[in-house]
This record gives sequence, structure tokens and C-alpha cells, in this order.
Amino acid sequence: MRKWIKALPVAALLFMTVIAQAEEKPKVIRIGAGGNSLNLPKSSGATGWVDEQGLLEKEFAKDGIKIERTFYKAMGPGQNEAIASGLIDFGSAGDLVLVVGRAGGLPYKIISTSGSGGSNVYIQVNPASGIKSLKDLKGKRIGYQKGTYLHLCFNRILDAIGLSEKDIKGVNLINADAQAALATNSVDAIVSNSSRPLVDQGVAKLLFDTRKYPQFKGGPGAIFVTEAFANKYPDITKRVLKTLLKGYYWASKPENQEAIIQSQVKTGGIYKHIKADQIGDFEPTVKYDPTVTPEVLKKYQEMIDFSVKRGIIRRKFNVNELFDLRFNEPALKELGYDKYWVHK
Amino acid sequence: MSRKKIAILVLGALLIGHANLQAAETPEAEPPKETGSAVPFGSEDLTTAENLDEAGAVSQADLSGVRAELATLSDQLTQRLDKTIANSKRSLSISGSSQTRYAVSTSPGKSGFLFNSAILSLKGFLKKDYEEGKSFSYTLGLGSNASYNLQPTDAYLQYSIGQSLDIEKPYLSVNIGQQKKQFGLEATTTEDKQPAINTAQFASKLGLSSRDIGIRLYGDFVPIVDLGYNYRIPLIEYSLGLYNGSGTNVPDTNRNKDIEGRVAINAPVGYYSPWRGLTFGTSFYRGQQDLYKGATLITNGEGEAVKSRYGADLSYVSAPLGFTAEYVLGRDEKALTGTTLANAKRAITTSRGYTVTFFYEWGEQFYKNSRSQSRNDDWWPTTFQPFIRYDHWDPDTSLANNETAITTVGFNFFFAETTKFQLNYSISDDKATPLKQNSFAAQFQFGF
Repeated sequence: MRKWIKALPVAALLFMTVIAQAEEKPKVIRIGAGGNSLNLPKSSGATGWVDEQGLLEKEFAKDGIKIERTFYKAMGPGQNEAIASGLIDFGSAGDLVLVVGRAGGLPYKIISTSGSGGSNVYIQVNPASGIKSLKDLKGKRIGYQKGTYLHLCFNRILDAIGLSEKDIKGVNLINADAQAALATNSVDAIVSNSSRPLVDQGVAKLLFDTRKYPQFKGGPGAIFVTEAFANKYPDITKRVLKTLLKGYYWASKPENQEAIIQSQVKTGGIYKHIKADQIGDFEPTVKYDPTVTPEVLKKYQEMIDFSVKRGIIRRKFNVNELFDLRFNEPALKELGYDKYWVHK
Repeated sequence: MSRKKIAILVLGALLIGHANLQAAETPEAEPPKETGSAVPFGSEDLTTAENLDEAGAVSQADLSGVRAELATLSDQLTQRLDKTIANSKRSLSISGSSQTRYAVSTSPGKSGFLFNSAILSLKGFLKKDYEEGKSFSYTLGLGSNASYNLQPTDAYLQYSIGQSLDIEKPYLSVNIGQQKKQFGLEATTTEDKQPAINTAQFASKLGLSSRDIGIRLYGDFVPIVDLGYNYRIPLIEYSLGLYNGSGTNVPDTNRNKDIEGRVAINAPVGYYSPWRGLTFGTSFYRGQQDLYKGATLITNGEGEAVKSRYGADLSYVSAPLGFTAEYVLGRDEKALTGTTLANAKRAITTSRGYTVTFFYEWGEQFYKNSRSQSRNDDWWPTTFQPFIRYDHWDPDTSLANNETAITTVGFNFFFAETTKFQLNYSISDDKATPLKQNSFAAQFQFGF
């Protein structure tokens, strides 16, 4: 009898632990993503393929967990607002917007990069502006969207030629307005993504782009999770990441590159520009490498330090505050991708 | 050969012949199978099958077909633009709103369906500046209120004197024409953001929510920008207006002009701060009006009677919570005795009003980026907003027991982009009469 009584508290504890473990599952996993120029509720590339195949739905069907996706027209800032309001659990966004959000105290962590590639930056100029070299940008009116990777990359380019934003007349314009401003000679140059219809029409000239100077490209984007979700549901977080990593594995295969381009065209990309944007690009296995390596951490720390130096963010912080490294390596190992993406 | 053997041979031949017959018939009886496929017809995964539409390289004929489609599309578009699509000489945005309600009151004869207001508004750019955003724009409005008269409401030009493209720099603009005055919170908050169906008593009693003809300069200083959210909040916002002072759609009734001003201080914090949405404001209005003794006009066109209002407001609006409080003092000069400006004995009547409102939201109605999602359907974030408001009005502080206090509890339901359904229950305590008057109102406010 005494043995029974002694065993009771242990049994009760074990029982409660099992119940707690069994109950620790969300009813829904909410995933945010950036929108596209056609305002269609779909992604392209690696995550687009994951969505198309319904991999997340299949992975969590047996748990009875619903998958909810929201596509924000405002891209990264839209997802930041959603995180601040507790509306999403996961998302993927560009490097700068994540650094800015974290600097402001947003409670999320990067669990994987969305590839080592980064986006190209193009500087298009008005032929009548007299701009023939990068140094000629000094004193000119330049249109670009602040708070985006274009803003950060442009600052790096200015820094490399001994200039800063104070040496130019920066005009904060979203891409569509920037193109219109260049066409009407309201600005002398714009900093844009690969979209350059004015160059195609002969209205503007392409002065500079990062296909030849990849050191100025945008940094790797990332997949993030809220701290609360990762701490409450670490196993679910790893399973979500594993499912998304399958998309990056698919995207890293050379035979799937045309399918990726087609998915980008279906969400508003211009085929010719997308193809041209890949000139000088990394190999697919590098471009879609989701591993969080010391090199990636170093790049992000450099971005944080540079953003503070340029006044883009006010708070300097250590890159470890932005990353949660509990999931990336184990997820890659369990899928066998650690043998696929090998880093010496 | 024995008979047994012959029988076996014959039987065997018959059997073989029958089998051959069956074999001959089988190809017609069985459904066709995919060559090399072990999956029965109808069960194979067709999503991975070759799409014949996409097979092969693009030919000259394919290109010609695409060119023909584009030409047809261009022709169709031109015809539609010419025949069926409205166009204008300058950019034009058309919007409008209306309020339809049902109200029930304990006062006799004050129940029924009511068409409260309808507004049509036209806006656009007259000249758009891409370099610094120093653009010229217009606003024209037509409106009808409970008196069912259609009248011009807004009719003004707007010019951005300062740049308006860089969110990290201050803004400065000017409006000229008939426009809404900018005093306080209650009188200036747009209908979609007002929790209660009716504005506070002081807003209508003191003429603060009306329009007037004049010129207004407004802008801000020290903008705080959080690039991670496309968020901008200026530390200081200001507005200074000069008006006829005679009201909407009437020429000036006296030689004097009324002046109005407002300064608001916003909490200078980023988007993720708990202090975001905190604002303190102060407003004033000084002018002159005609002198009345009761309802009798003593002067006409000579003004000379003081009209002034002073107010302070505090608000904290950060979804899902909201709180607003406003206090207003009014001073109006009236004649106690006399029949002319020379012999009139004057006195200042001081009135006072204040209101406090609390509200809470379940839903994403007031999250800017949640309202801007990529969707295939006509989705809108369903949002529920209960609120409670206390509204106090004293028309003459020198007299006792003449105040009116209205407590309103209500519920707003946002279910479509430009439509909300409102339920209000008001308990009105007018100390000037012995009766307590309660009323219930249900209103659809819709727009486009």
C-alpha cells in the first residue's frame, strides 16, 4: 500500500506531462507573405511550390492543424505590422525590413535564410541628366523606396564611392511612382528592382547594376517565426521549417529553374527581365541555400552596423538577437540536406 | 487411337477453340490501357500528365495568334473607352457615403425610419508634381442631411506648399474654399472612425461640425518615421484657418472674419511602442456674429457680438483599445435688453460641454495592412466594436439644472470595406425637463 502511495505523485506528474505534451498544438498556423504586382494571393519560387503542392496542409492534416496564409500588399512592412498585432506566426521577408523590425523590438527570430542569392539593384538614369558615372549622382535627384533593400544597397554603393544620402537629393518613391517620375524628368535617376520598362522603351538608360558587382546585391531574405510560437511549439516550428526547406531543395535543382521563372511571370514578373536578372547569378544550389552559416550571420551583423552608421536604425544590436539557431541544422539533418548543402 | 483419347482430343480442341474465341473477343470487351502503365484507366494521376497545349516550341503561327489576340484586345478596349467607360479631363476619384437608420424614442412621435445623410464626393489632381509632391488637387462634394435638401458641402482647392513625398520631412498645405472646420476631435473625426451614431452635443450646438468658406493652412513638424512599418507620426500637427464665420453655402453676414486654430502633440514613438496613438490637442475659435436678443436680430451685417470657443482633447487610439476625451468652452455674446446696437445691454453666455468615450475592437478593421491584402474574393476583416460614451452639455453655466447628459452604449459591426452596422442605446437626462428620454437607433452606414 505504501509503495502505491509513493508512486502516486510520480504517476500524476507523468500523466500531467503527457497530457500537456498532447495538448501543446495550435489550432491554426498563420503564415504571412509579401504580395505581388498583380495582387494575386500566391507566392512564386520555393514557397510558391510548397503552397502549390499543399505540403504544409499534408504535413499537419494528421494533427488537425489548419494552415492560414495572408499575402500583404505592403510586403515586409505589412508583415511587421501583422507581427506587432499578433496576427501571424511565420513569414518571409527581405533582410532590411527584418533588421528594422527587430531594432524596434519586434518579437520574432529568423530560423532560416531564403537562399544566399539576394536581389539585384538597378540604377536607371534620365539621358538628359548628364549622369555618366556613379560619382555623377552627387547633387542629383534620385528616386528610391526607403526602408527596402533598395535603400540599403544604394547606401552601400554611395559609401563605396565616398558619398552618402546627404550628398544626393533623395526622393522617397515606390517603384511605380519612381518609373513615372523618371519618365517625366522629375528625377534624374531611380534605384529599382529588375523592372525597367523605360530602358526597354529607350526613355531611360541603365547606368549600373549589381549583376556585375554582386557585393552590392541585397542580402539574403529570411524565414522568421514569432518568439512566442517558437517557444510554445518548438516541434511544430521545426516541422514547418522542414516542409519549407523541401521547397528550397526543389528550387535548387537546375531542372526546376524554368518552372520558377514561370511562377514569377504568373505573379507579375516580366519574363525578359527575370531571365536577364539571372546573368551572373549564383548557381541554384547556392542561390537557394537556406543554411544559416557563420557567413550569413556575419553579413547580417554587417548590415546592422551599416544601418546604424547610416541612421536607418537607431539601436545597434547583436545578430544573435535576430536568429534562433535551434531549428535550422536539425531540420536540414533530418531531411538529409546537410549532405546536399555542405559548407567547409 | 482409343475412344477415350479421341474424346479428350475433341474436348481439348473445343476448349482451345473457345479460349481463342474469348481471346479474340477480349480486346473489344476490355477498356483501353495506357501503354506501359500498370494503373487502370481512370485511376491515374492526371495532374502530372503532359499538357499537350504546352508541348513543342513556339511557332510563327503561335506568335501570329498572340499578335491577333493583342490587336483584338486593343480594339475592344478602345471601343469600350469610347462608348461605355466614363472619362474626365483630369484625374477623378468618386466616393460617397450614406446613413440609413431606424430610431425609437420614449418621446412621442419620434420613432421611425430615417434617411440621415447622403454625401457624394469628387476628388482628383489638377496638377501632379512628381519631383517634390507639390501638387494641386480639388475636392467637390454634394450632400443631403435629414432635411433632404441637396447642397454643396466641400468645394475647395488644396495645394501642397511644402514637399509631400519624403515621409521623413515636414508637410505644409493650404486649402481654399468651403471646407470642414478643424476644431477638436468630435467635430473632425470622419464617420467611419466615430463609434457613436450621433456626434457630441457641443459639436452641433456650438457650430463646430459645420463647414465654412475660407482659407486654412496646416502641416506638421518633427516627423517620427518607422521604416519597418511605413509608419509616420509627426510630433506636432497644426492648423490655422480664416473663415467668413457665417456657415455653409451663405455669403459673409458681417465685415469680420473668424479665426480658428489647433495644435496637437503626438507621442513621438515608433510603431511597436505601447504609447503609439496617444495625442493631446488644444483648439480655439474666435470670431464675431450678429447680436440677438432672444430670437430677435438687433444688428445685421455689423457683427460686433463675441463668439469664441476653446477646447482641449486627449485620445489614445491603438487597436484594439481606444479612448477619447474632449472638453469645450463656448462664449457667445447676447443682448439682454435693447433694440439697437447702441442701447443693447450685453452679456456673455458661457456654455460648456465634455465627452468621454471608450471602445474596443475584435477584428482587424483598423490595421492598415490587414485591410490591404491580396485576395481572390471580396474579403474584409470582420470586426466587432463595443463602446460606451458619456456626453454632457450645459448651455449656460450661470444657470442651474439646465444641463443634458447622454450616456450611450453601442455596438458596431464592420463586415465590408465601406459598410458598418451600428446599434446605439442612449439614456438622455435633460435636467430642464422632468422626463428622462431613452432612445434606440440602428443604422447602416455605407459608402463607396
